[in-house]
Amino acid sequence: MKEWFKKGEHWIWMSSAMVALSVVLVFGLFGMIAYKGMVHFWPHTVYEYQVNNGTEIERVVGEHRDSKIKEVFDVKGQPPREVEQLLIKVGNRDVYGIDFRWISADDLVAAEPAIADNAVVIERYEYGNVYGWYKTLTVNGQTFTGDKLVLELEKQVDEGKRLHDEIKSIEKSDIGSINYKLEQLRLEEKKLKAEDEWNAEEEQRLASKRTELNKQFKELQAQTQVLYKEQATLGEVSMTISGGQALNVPIKNIVDYWQPNEMSMADKIGFFFHGMGRFLTEDPREANTEGGIFPAMIGTITMVLIMTILVTPMGVIAAVYMREYAKDGPVLRAVRISINNLAGVPSIVFGIFGLGFFVYILGGSIDELFYGYALPSPTFGTPGLLWASLTMALLTLPVVIVSTEEGLSRIPRSLREGGLALGATKIEVIQKIVLPMALPAIMTGLILAVARAAGEVAPLMLVGVVKLAPELPVDAIAPFVHLDRKFMHLGFHIYDVGFQSPNVEASQPLVYATSLLLVLIIVGLNLGAISIRNRLREKYKALEH
Amino acid sequence: MSEQNLTISMDRDNRQLKLADEKIAIQVKDWNLFYGKKQALQNITMDLPENRVTAFIGPSGCGKSTLLRCFNRMNDLIDIVRVEGDMTLHGDDMYSKDMDVAALRRRVGMVFQKPNPFPKSIYENVCYGLRLQGISDKQILDETVEWALKGAGLWEEVKDRLNENALGMSGGQQQRLCIARAIAIKPEVLLLDEPTSALDPISTLAIEELIFELKKDFTILIVTHNMQQAARVSDYTAFMYMGDLIEYTDTDSLFTNPQVKRTEDYITGRYG
Repeated sequence: MKEWFKKGEHWIWMSSAMVALSVVLVFGLFGMIAYKGMVHFWPHTVYEYQVNNGTEIERVVGEHRDSKIKEVFDVKGQPPREVEQLLIKVGNRDVYGIDFRWISADDLVAAEPAIADNAVVIERYEYGNVYGWYKTLTVNGQTFTGDKLVLELEKQVDEGKRLHDEIKSIEKSDIGSINYKLEQLRLEEKKLKAEDEWNAEEEQRLASKRTELNKQFKELQAQTQVLYKEQATLGEVSMTISGGQALNVPIKNIVDYWQPNEMSMADKIGFFFHGMGRFLTEDPREANTEGGIFPAMIGTITMVLIMTILVTPMGVIAAVYMREYAKDGPVLRAVRISINNLAGVPSIVFGIFGLGFFVYILGGSIDELFYGYALPSPTFGTPGLLWASLTMALLTLPVVIVSTEEGLSRIPRSLREGGLALGATKIEVIQKIVLPMALPAIMTGLILAVARAAGEVAPLMLVGVVKLAPELPVDAIAPFVHLDRKFMHLGFHIYDVGFQSPNVEASQPLVYATSLLLVLIIVGLNLGAISIRNRLREKYKALEH
Repeated sequence: MSEQNLTISMDRDNRQLKLADEKIAIQVKDWNLFYGKKQALQNITMDLPENRVTAFIGPSGCGKSTLLRCFNRMNDLIDIVRVEGDMTLHGDDMYSKDMDVAALRRRVGMVFQKPNPFPKSIYENVCYGLRLQGISDKQILDETVEWALKGAGLWEEVKDRLNENALGMSGGQQQRLCIARAIAIKPEVLLLDEPTSALDPISTLAIEELIFELKKDFTILIVTHNMQQAARVSDYTAFMYMGDLIEYTDTDSLFTNPQVKRTEDYITGRYG
């Protein structure tokens, strides 16, 4: 035993235990997020509970979402009794007022809940889910029941979805584009007036353009009116819900409907992936507590890409200057120390700086110089994508500089001399030999920068991220990437949905699902960069000997 | 190997070399070099003949590599180096303010002690210098690559794998590739800084034969630790000691009949 200690075996064991702990933590964290996030998409079984509420026995129909143990003190002085509390999603918010309900196991008539046969879950654009049974379907005065109801409902819901998509497409992209153009015309008019170039000819030109756009707008509006009318004729399905009441659901409000208790495993798996696809491609609804996270995902990726485009040249050029050109001395050392310290500055401080310097000073000056005609409404003098990306670029700059410098210092002197001896100038050697060989190190810096920028929330709240952005930062209207727009971000979305939401229980699985997606995006970006880096490393490996 | 050596030395023996008869490529006059306050080269004056191999020998730290690196101004890269004196290449002042250093280095090529091919293909390594000059005509590049690789005695070995990474070659091949890279831009002078010190005897022999071939087209200056090598490949030899040029004459005279005691001590192995 003494020898065992003398050899230092206990240190080896301790360090391996620490490694094991880290691995367990990483996988545990990822596993929990993955499980809790994925469960959201699985079709839950709908149960029927018999609850004794003191005066009568009540039927509660819903999905079992969570359980916890409550300690109940029946008799004073005695140890407490553990009672299970069930969280049931009962839906039907327009009838019950809330869509989650806690039930104590003490109040249950039967210990095991019954599976609610033929129960139907309907997801609506408003008021959340409906849990109940089909009663009748009314379309144009015709009433359907039983099997005919199911067939007709499918037809009507498909039609409803088609109309919904069409209306949304017209309103969002066509009318959105006209509104954008009208806004541009308004700004053009303001600009001409501010520059004293406003004359009858210009007025004529803008007016004719405006009339043209307004005509198009009217046409599109008429089209949507027709579609809205069509929507109204889709009819409505009448449901029996657990209290015995009837709940009428207009077909146009239905997003999806399913009968979880009647689904086979294959159906459930299909539903699971379908749900995930919808989560990724749909806009959020109901104050972000339902629907998808598409805009937040696009916002995050766009911001990170623009950040990368900004930080790469800044960081690489700074590192090249410091490593290749600057004379070693107290000044250079002071600069290095400052850069290293910059990496330790809390991110919210960068946010404050971004707001104060980029948004108000820089953005304000840009507005005064180039967009003076639009004032007092700001163009760049307000938080937006460009400023958020710049702030993040600044935040990640030290990482890129430090790793690039490391990479540059590892290029052997003999290669630089080889290039110089062939008549290359210093800048040619740097461009054609040194920088390509330092690429793996630069990539390492970018990986770290991307991971940090994608996960950062605090500074973004100040410089451009919003809870709900009306438009995406990238779209089909020129100039395609709108640097002045505000955008949504997954990290902020998690914070908002999880902690600022009126409906905490409903949003909880969304928080996990969004976290999972954020982690996956960062892992994906990293894996991409790592594989590029490894390919480059492989290329230069023979030099290391 | 011995037969090869024999032919080389015999070839040289047939002609009685005299520095006074030669055309001069590089002229050095009162050359001093300082590393900060420390003087590394003292009052060196010598004429380096065209289309001949001149070897620099001497113990470690004697300044022979430093002097060699003066010929293509490689010492400019070191901030603390300061030089005095005159150095001309075919009459052009190499250290004048108007001299474009990159252009000078195209006229004076260099091969280093350790092979340093770029992490690119064999082909790209050889045409690197040409591409720097803005030559991108495929035909010219192809011809030059073939000529340079043949000149470096490497063509037969690599003609089928020109697009492979140069780092996959053996040390000797890499060094010959570096020579091909240097001669591809057709310099007037070729500097070889201990080109075989990192190589095995067979690769060394290949390079020595190559040096013998190359002197038809280039003026070659070689620094070597190996006195047998200097005796085998060079026409003229300069012996340096502690920053001074001690003796400089044709190789045969230097090795058979050294005029200075220190040279004799060195070549007979008494020190160094």
